[in-house]
Amino acid sequence: MTVKEEVSRRQPVEEDMRRQHRAWRFERLGWYGLVLIVVMALAGVFGHGPLSEQSVASVDGRLQVDYQRFSRNGSVENLKIRVKGQPSAQVALLLDGPLVREATIETLQPEPLMSQSQGRALLLHLATDAEGEAALYLSLQYEGIGPLRARARVGSTSAVTFTTFIYP
Amino acid sequence: MESIFRAAGMYLALMILFRIAGRRSLADLTTFDFVLLLIIGEATQQALLGEDFSFTNAVLVITTLFVLDIGFSLAKLSSLRLSRLMDGQALVVVEEGRFLHTRMRHSRLTEDDILESARSTQGIENVSQIKYAIVERNGTLSFIQRDEE
Repeated sequence: MTVKEEVSRRQPVEEDMRRQHRAWRFERLGWYGLVLIVVMALAGVFGHGPLSEQSVASVDGRLQVDYQRFSRNGSVENLKIRVKGQPSAQVALLLDGPLVREATIETLQPEPLMSQSQGRALLLHLATDAEGEAALYLSLQYEGIGPLRARARVGSTSAVTFTTFIYP
Repeated sequence: MESIFRAAGMYLALMILFRIAGRRSLADLTTFDFVLLLIIGEATQQALLGEDFSFTNAVLVITTLFVLDIGFSLAKLSSLRLSRLMDGQALVVVEEGRFLHTRMRHSRLTEDDILESARSTQGIENVSQIKYAIVERNGTLSFIQRDEE
């Protein structure tokens, strides 16, 4: 005699095998989902990984920004900005956009020669070295949720726009 | 306001995760499970409280969790569907001394798991002594012994 496992039992407990199968399917799909999340996290979809680290440069190459494409609310990220200008002179870097506005600037290295506000933007005067390059390392604590844009501009011709998606 | 969303979000996320993990994960708390639970708690607490370590925030978070927990159990009283959806249902895995293997595989139970539990809780030494073995909704195994002939 074979046992019919598919049949819902009435004794000793009331079963509903259709519902039970749905629950098992949910567990199975959920397991794939969890594995997928882990793989995505390793790849950097939730920040700090190969898929997240990005670099963008302006068309003329004067301005380059290294940033994270994905970040999380409350986490601290590094932003590296490189600017080319005249040797041993000053360049004015304008930072704007909700990403910068809604973040708390934790550190700013090296200290700019001067920093001003310009409307809602931040204007930083950086000293260039003998090769005419200036680098600025920012660490920002991101606030806000969702895709937030930022814009960096040097002069009127070199600008880059980048977007970071911030998870809750 | 934010702490309410944090608590509610974490409650739902944990509920889904534990539902995916299935009943095996809750039953028979081994030392490892206990440590795992501690780590889950540790990982959760930062997201629940955020940067705000005030008394008010802690009370708000706990209140939200209680409201959800009591609310769901009240809702389960009036809806069998919701109750089945959230808690699952009991499942027979041994019937009249026979293992129901398909069901056991889906529930991630081996014959050894069932026999071990039968020995330790009921003093049963053989599967033929079991009339029914049931995986309860909370993940524990309960046994009904066959009548001695």
